[in-house]
Amino acid sequence: MKKRYVMIHDENRCIGCQACNVACRSENSVPEGVTRLQVRVEGPFGEAPDLHFKYHRVSCQQCENAPCVTVCPTGAAYFDDNGIVTINKDKCVGCMYCVAACPYKVRFMNPETKAADKCNFCKDTRLARGEDPACVSVCPTDALTFGDANDVNSEVSKLLNTKISYQDKSHLGTQPRIYRIPTKRGGIQS
Amino acid sequence: MNNIWGDMTQYEPVTWHWVIAVYLFLAGLSAGSLLIGIGLRWAKSEINSAQEVATLKAAAVIGPVAICLGLACLIFDLTKPFDFWLILVNYNFESVMAIGVLALLLYTPLAFAYAMIVLRDDLPKWGMAFLSPIAMALLPMRKLIEGLLFVLAIGVGAYTGFLISAMNAYPMLNTAVLPALFLVSGLSAGAAANSVLALLMFNSDVHDFELGRMHRLEVPVMAVEILFLLMLFSALYFKGGAAAAALASLSTGLWANVFWIGVVGIGFGVPLLFMLLPAATRHSKGAMLTVACASLTGVLALRHFIVYAGQSYIS
Repeated sequence: MKKRYVMIHDENRCIGCQACNVACRSENSVPEGVTRLQVRVEGPFGEAPDLHFKYHRVSCQQCENAPCVTVCPTGAAYFDDNGIVTINKDKCVGCMYCVAACPYKVRFMNPETKAADKCNFCKDTRLARGEDPACVSVCPTDALTFGDANDVNSEVSKLLNTKISYQDKSHLGTQPRIYRIPTKRGGIQS
Repeated sequence: MNNIWGDMTQYEPVTWHWVIAVYLFLAGLSAGSLLIGIGLRWAKSEINSAQEVATLKAAAVIGPVAICLGLACLIFDLTKPFDFWLILVNYNFESVMAIGVLALLLYTPLAFAYAMIVLRDDLPKWGMAFLSPIAMALLPMRKLIEGLLFVLAIGVGAYTGFLISAMNAYPMLNTAVLPALFLVSGLSAGAAANSVLALLMFNSDVHDFELGRMHRLEVPVMAVEILFLLMLFSALYFKGGAAAAALASLSTGLWANVFWIGVVGIGFGVPLLFMLLPAATRHSKGAMLTVACASLTGVLALRHFIVYAGQSYIS
């Protein structure tokens, strides 16, 4: 059976330390000035002294219905056998249609290869060796869980079956494979 | 700003810049000018059709030249301009861009073929007599080429709208009316450019019969354009949420000025105001050229407004 790789970001556990951001840059040799993964820190929310922040992971959402794959004129953006949205940099002409079409704005032009680039769950390196993506391994608070949602016994299946989760901009019908467990603490949006 | 999470410049929602707006303008201009030229030729003409009319000659020049300039814009805007051939050999037919490439691949050579047919008597005058045998060889196929080119021109004119309306991340772009708006404003640019070239390059008289027929199209085309703009904005308003928020582009920032001064003031206002002038004045060469240039400026401003304001608001 095909794998359905998903990632879960538990926003209660995240502390916004950016270890994932740095590990990603190092693992994937991401050039200076561009980023595959950021955790945006929003807030503070609440009344002092009970202040808290919210943490929003910004990276490729690995949509099951990916606008970038649909709009790519040459097929340089495609789903691999396990559904991971992948870029064939040799087929990319750099028209930026995918960069414009991505609702999450997580695609960028790699200044070295001149091709579109983004997170691919470390599929050519760590995933190929059977390891978790760099961001998942490095997270000090275990806020990230990665695995095959088609396997009912996997950690991700158990989490998605037991915790409330949401996906970013689900109203656009993109069906992201990044799930988020919302923070338990509320906060009034200013 | 120095965030702990790093550089934010790549997340700027405006991805496509003025080069793309100029390309959208030139592609619409090319298609619009050929549609007007061929359409008027098909509509009953009272004068002898053995001789090519100046407005059609103008369209025959603008059609291929504008599309080539537009494609040059497009290619040099790629991050890998010298790999552009990849887009000609790899096709993803789910992508509007790939379908557009295919349409342009047929449209561009046909526009050149049609130009040679229409301008066959002018080629020797311009030192291109070596093309005359090709023009004569193509002449018997004129009806076929003309028909195909007309259909492809509708495709090219509308495709520029479909290209950007396919992105559901941008509420102002992701509307059904955009391809129609682009097609109609392309017609308005095409008619304007045809009259400029007919007057300046092919020495049309200001009272030329064909020029007059084309001139009578301008107000109805403009009325449809205004209607489509109204439909676009009311659709955003009633959709609410991020779509309604995008309407702020009409009241704030640089692109509000581009819209109200460029599109409305110059593009619609100047031609309409000139209609109030006495007939003798408004049918002077200078007045006709001013009106045509105002229309062209308006359409160019509209492309810029849609590209920039459209990408500035994300849902």
